[in-house]
Amino acid sequence: MSMIDSVTELEALATGIAIIDGDNVITYANTTFARRLNIEVLPRRLTDITLPEARSRDLLEWQLRDIGESALTIEIAPGRTLTFYIGARRDDQRMVIVASGWPRREESTLDLAAQLDPLTGFGNRLMYAERLRELEATGARCAAVLVIDLDHFKQVNDTLGHGAGDELLVLVAQRIRASTRGNDTLIRLGGDEFVILIPEEKRREGLEALAARLVNLLGRPFLVNGHQINIGASIGIATLVGDSEQLQDLLRHADLALYEAKHQGRAGHYVFQSQLEQRAFDRRAFEVDLRRALGLRQFTLHYQPQTSIRDERVIGFEALIRWEHPTRGRVSPLNFIPLAEEIGEIASIGRWVIRKACEQAMTWRDERLIVAVNVSPAQFVDDTIIDVVRDALAHSGLAPARLELEITEGLFLDESEAIMRRLWAIQELGVAIAIDDFGTGYASLGYLNSFPFSKIKIDKSFIQAEPSPRASALVSGILAMGSNLGMATTAEGIETAEQYHQLEQEGCSSAQGYYIARPMPADQIADFLDQFAPPTAQAG
Amino acid sequence: MTDTLYRLVYMSRNDITDEIELQIGGILEISRENNRRAEITGALMFNAGCFAQVLEGPHHAIQATFERIQCDERHSNVTVLLFEPLDARVFSNWAMAYVGTQAAAEQRFGHLGHDSGFEFDTLDGNEIFNVLRANLHDAEPA
Repeated sequence: MSMIDSVTELEALATGIAIIDGDNVITYANTTFARRLNIEVLPRRLTDITLPEARSRDLLEWQLRDIGESALTIEIAPGRTLTFYIGARRDDQRMVIVASGWPRREESTLDLAAQLDPLTGFGNRLMYAERLRELEATGARCAAVLVIDLDHFKQVNDTLGHGAGDELLVLVAQRIRASTRGNDTLIRLGGDEFVILIPEEKRREGLEALAARLVNLLGRPFLVNGHQINIGASIGIATLVGDSEQLQDLLRHADLALYEAKHQGRAGHYVFQSQLEQRAFDRRAFEVDLRRALGLRQFTLHYQPQTSIRDERVIGFEALIRWEHPTRGRVSPLNFIPLAEEIGEIASIGRWVIRKACEQAMTWRDERLIVAVNVSPAQFVDDTIIDVVRDALAHSGLAPARLELEITEGLFLDESEAIMRRLWAIQELGVAIAIDDFGTGYASLGYLNSFPFSKIKIDKSFIQAEPSPRASALVSGILAMGSNLGMATTAEGIETAEQYHQLEQEGCSSAQGYYIARPMPADQIADFLDQFAPPTAQAG
Repeated sequence: MTDTLYRLVYMSRNDITDEIELQIGGILEISRENNRRAEITGALMFNAGCFAQVLEGPHHAIQATFERIQCDERHSNVTVLLFEPLDARVFSNWAMAYVGTQAAAEQRFGHLGHDSGFEFDTLDGNEIFNVLRANLHDAEPA
């Protein structure tokens, strides 16, 4: 370096100048630098200089993590502050200049320390606001924001502890830093959410290439605390060159794009488009309507009969929720149940369904009739479900044996002991538990052996499949398995006489579907039972 | 935790297309220098399609080296085959060998391996070496 050639000049300067290497070790310091910082022997780490407060050293360390140029003012001795101007790192070397009383930029009213995230050395929300203000002041017409959210980060914290989680965040920050340029502002918004604010004009292709690189880089394994960790990242992008018009909108728009990226299956990126805003607005309105539906009594239960194939009599009804909205009309459970699960409304809706179904079943004149109620895996996250069932039985006076909960295979994906414990607790109340939509889940069949399920409900997709040797082999297989395990089998979605008779021949226990009856409102059940004629009698 | 010795074995796709000898030579030189400083020993193997590397050293040093590799554009599809604490180093000196089946490449780069004095201290080292060599062999472009 030419600077080193004129060492004599450097020595004479009243400004303190030093060169540090990649490990922040001072490899050269001029006399002024050494004197101001009380350094007697080299080499020495810059962060090992004597400072009155540990916090000052932390600040210096954080600042040095940034390889770009920056400035930092800290208290070097009681009542005496010194400003460090730190040059950008090049070839594992950077220059550090110290000075006292040097002017700081007027507009930086916030202390730098308050704008830094202590863990990663990135900026925080305050820095984001500050940089946005600066961009606005300069009338910037081109800027872009990338919001990066880690997938599966929570599992790392949960399984390996917060220490490992923090270490991982530091490595993530390093990888992000390695992919970005000096004038990009790197922000940790909190948790596992990072933001890159890019001030200069960028073509959309360039931003997408950066996002793709980050997704790739953050998807590669990490080594933390002796463990190999694999996470992933989803990225939302918003840019003034694209559909965002105001600097202030960038972060919100990038967040909307992130939501879209996550919904498209994670580990990818999405660029904000204006229609996302309308979509988000619609989603919010739908969510608000759903949250009000219970209170406004817009839900009702309809009941679809289940008949015994051998005895040709009605054995019970499956309760099916209906949402009648004044302007939306009838909303399908396929649309609102996933949202209810996502926003946590499923707990109160589920409670209402069980309670209502028990109440209404009490009005049926045949006391042998059972009522089957669908329960979402989201209702099994804690022990509440046990109390909900117990309370519904106590409140209605329904005999426990008349209640059957229908759960899906999805509940067993985690093979959690807690879930098995809850199932046993409900079973001990005397309530039956059936497997719904059998054959559509991805769970291993092992769970069938671990619990005395009352019934296997064969999914309608098998019943309604085009007749073929393969389809009938599948159904026969399920029926044989049920019979061997001592579990009853119910075929769902029977629509034709052919389907019914086929199942009858193969020994299926009970039937449900339009061929027998469509779901009906509670007040039609009495008439239905009066007029019920077995399907075979109809056919004959 | 950070002072415990660990062994890392990983493979990655090698995106080097031109001036292979020069680039690999450069990687070797920089790695040797970095690793000496970080108390890391191990072995690097490559063919026209793949890198395979064994690193042994303190946790923090392995982590730092691995992060540098991850951010290197020339690596992709990084797969960790092993990451565990070790009782004793089996690659006592940093080494590098060319492993491949193409005779021409062997002639061109074989000396890099010979120059580095590639050797193992124990049978463990041989096993790792053999597994990596088998993987590299499979990955060799036709």
